Amino acid sequence: MHRILKVAQREYIETAKTKTFIIGLLMTPVIIGVIIFFTKAISGGKAGPRPDIVVGVTDLSKTLAEDIKTSFDDYNKRNPNRQFLLQRLDIQQDANSTEAKGKTKLRNGQLNAYVVLDEDILEGPGKIRFYTYKPKPANVDAFWTIENFFRKAVENRRYEIEKIDKKLLARLRNVPLERLEVGAAEGREQVQSQGQRIAGMMVPFFFMYLIFMGMVGTGQHMLSSIIEEKNSRIIEVLLSAVSPFQLMAGKILGLAGIGLTVMTLWSAAAYAAASWQGLNVGVTPQLMVYFVIYYILGYLLFSAILTGIGSVCNTIKETQSLMMPVMLIFIIPMIGWFKLVQSPDGTLARALSFVPPVTPMVMVLRLAAGSNVLFVEIGASILVLAAAVLLVTWAAAKIFRTGILMYGKRPGPLEILRWLRQS
Amino acid sequence: MNAVTLENVCKSFGQVHAVDNLSVQVPAGSVYGFLGPNGAGKTTTIRMIMNIIRPDSGRIEIFQDGQIERVKNRIGYMPEERGLYRKMTVRKVLAYFGAIKGLDTKELAHRVPHWLQRVDLAGWADKRVEELSRGMHQKLQFAVTVINNPELVILDEPFSGLDPLNQDLLKNIILEMRNEDKTIIFSTHVMHEAEKLCDFILLINKGKSILDDTLDHIRSRQSAHTVSVELVGDTGFVETLPMVTAVKSEGNRLDVSLTDADTQQFLQALVQRAKVRAFEVKVPSLHEIFVNLVGASDAQNS
Repeated sequence: MHRILKVAQREYIETAKTKTFIIGLLMTPVIIGVIIFFTKAISGGKAGPRPDIVVGVTDLSKTLAEDIKTSFDDYNKRNPNRQFLLQRLDIQQDANSTEAKGKTKLRNGQLNAYVVLDEDILEGPGKIRFYTYKPKPANVDAFWTIENFFRKAVENRRYEIEKIDKKLLARLRNVPLERLEVGAAEGREQVQSQGQRIAGMMVPFFFMYLIFMGMVGTGQHMLSSIIEEKNSRIIEVLLSAVSPFQLMAGKILGLAGIGLTVMTLWSAAAYAAASWQGLNVGVTPQLMVYFVIYYILGYLLFSAILTGIGSVCNTIKETQSLMMPVMLIFIIPMIGWFKLVQSPDGTLARALSFVPPVTPMVMVLRLAAGSNVLFVEIGASILVLAAAVLLVTWAAAKIFRTGILMYGKRPGPLEILRWLRQS
Repeated sequence: MNAVTLENVCKSFGQVHAVDNLSVQVPAGSVYGFLGPNGAGKTTTIRMIMNIIRPDSGRIEIFQDGQIERVKNRIGYMPEERGLYRKMTVRKVLAYFGAIKGLDTKELAHRVPHWLQRVDLAGWADKRVEELSRGMHQKLQFAVTVINNPELVILDEPFSGLDPLNQDLLKNIILEMRNEDKTIIFSTHVMHEAEKLCDFILLINKGKSILDDTLDHIRSRQSAHTVSVELVGDTGFVETLPMVTAVKSEGNRLDVSLTDADTQQFLQALVQRAKVRAFEVKVPSLHEIFVNLVGASDAQNS
């Protein structure tokens, strides 16, 4: 045991000193922070000037031109960075030729959009026809705004015709709603913002993501550590002091420490950020206990698989082809997380809970999503997972023992099977 | 007492018999040389002693214990393929290997500087391993091997890659360890090293032991009864002496092969007939023995 701890200690210290580790540790929160910052900056309208949008209008009803001009002018005053230019194309000979001319201008690029208001738009079944020609994605949001101007103009005119009081209508349509979270005690009610609701959705994902990163991130270190020892021929010196099993156990233990360090720091950062934003994430101590149990078992399983893979390869490049199928399995819950959060007690969630490699991720997601996971289910999933850990570790230890001393050609599946049968 | 015992040990890799029914007993306190041409099975044998690979059949004991994992703390092993953590400092590498060989912090604080001093690396203690030259790397590797003050030291090709100065340094340490009654096994195919250091020689070829004895025995048994003489005057009479079987002339020197007769008798016979300027009883070098025996065993097999 003393030796396992020594191996673990070195593994931990030397990994924590690598650039990959430090960059990985810091970059993830930084990247998330940067994304949030830019999202806010852009939606805050701080972007620079954008090209003008030229809209041609043919008003067959001949009643709305003024209203539309007013709404365009209002918009242009409020948004100096982007101007909507209105170009009236009034009927000269007949409606059809005017429309054809408008479309030609659209094709030539003289107009960005061309709108035709039908003659009976106010009282009949007429339509607003909004023409575009190969619209740029950058203009799509502007088109939505412009469409709304036209609809609003038609709508307002219709109220006047029908003699409906607009103020009355506004009063009738305004139904206030407040979202409140009942606190633990009376008098501690809190107003719940939209962000709070989204956070409620994101917490389970965050937990699952933590487990995923905790396993996969440390997995990279496991592979590079084994490959280094193999490539620099340290293995034989090591094996003169420790048994292969002690070496493997020490590595797994040391990198478990790395994983726990990363997760503790990230969780603390996320918790601090959430508190700062005034979000109540509602994590129970019970959830934390399960989280730790599932993480440790999941990590053991994953790292055992990786010691097996690492020991039969000579270069990081070689490991990548073997990692592909493994990673595909782990990505399933990452892709399906939204569905799993929405129905944490559904058949899919239940079934995936018993597929050992993804059990930790799915179970933590379900528990954090606040579903009524049966206690039996938790117990059974932990048992299945633990059994898988034992089986895979047994196999990995055998592969590791032989594999780490092999150089040159990577052994085929048949040869590895033979190693497993060896005593 | 034997430090290491091998009994009928066999190991095959596919069709190749790397080690074929090998039995060796290494007495405690001796220096045992494993000699043989490249690919003879020396490294495989040593790896099996270290339990790094397992024999297909046969029994291996170290310090009369079949469970090698239990006695690893008392062994120092330097593999043929040298390797250390390149990114760690010299001091830390040495301390780490000391720690996994069971040394506590107090002992390490004393032994790490001692051994760095001993192999002339004290000035490099805080450099990274990757900054060392090949020779320095090799010396550090040796320090790693013996940091735990092992009773049994196993060195696979310890002298390869060292300059003559460092070879002497290493030889002196090995001789010192022999004086402390430690058991040393080393493999080499450079014969004059073995000749200077070994008490016992095991000669392996194609996985089989072809010679296993003390160096003294080997020399006396392999003595080819050859004498080299230099005489003044006519030397024609030498061929006619009864104990002489062949004479080969090399300038003034004569290489004379004798029957079983005592070399003293031959000298007397010479002194009566001529003036003797030089007289040397030729002891075959290990190199010659090696070439002869390996050649003979190869000839037998083919």
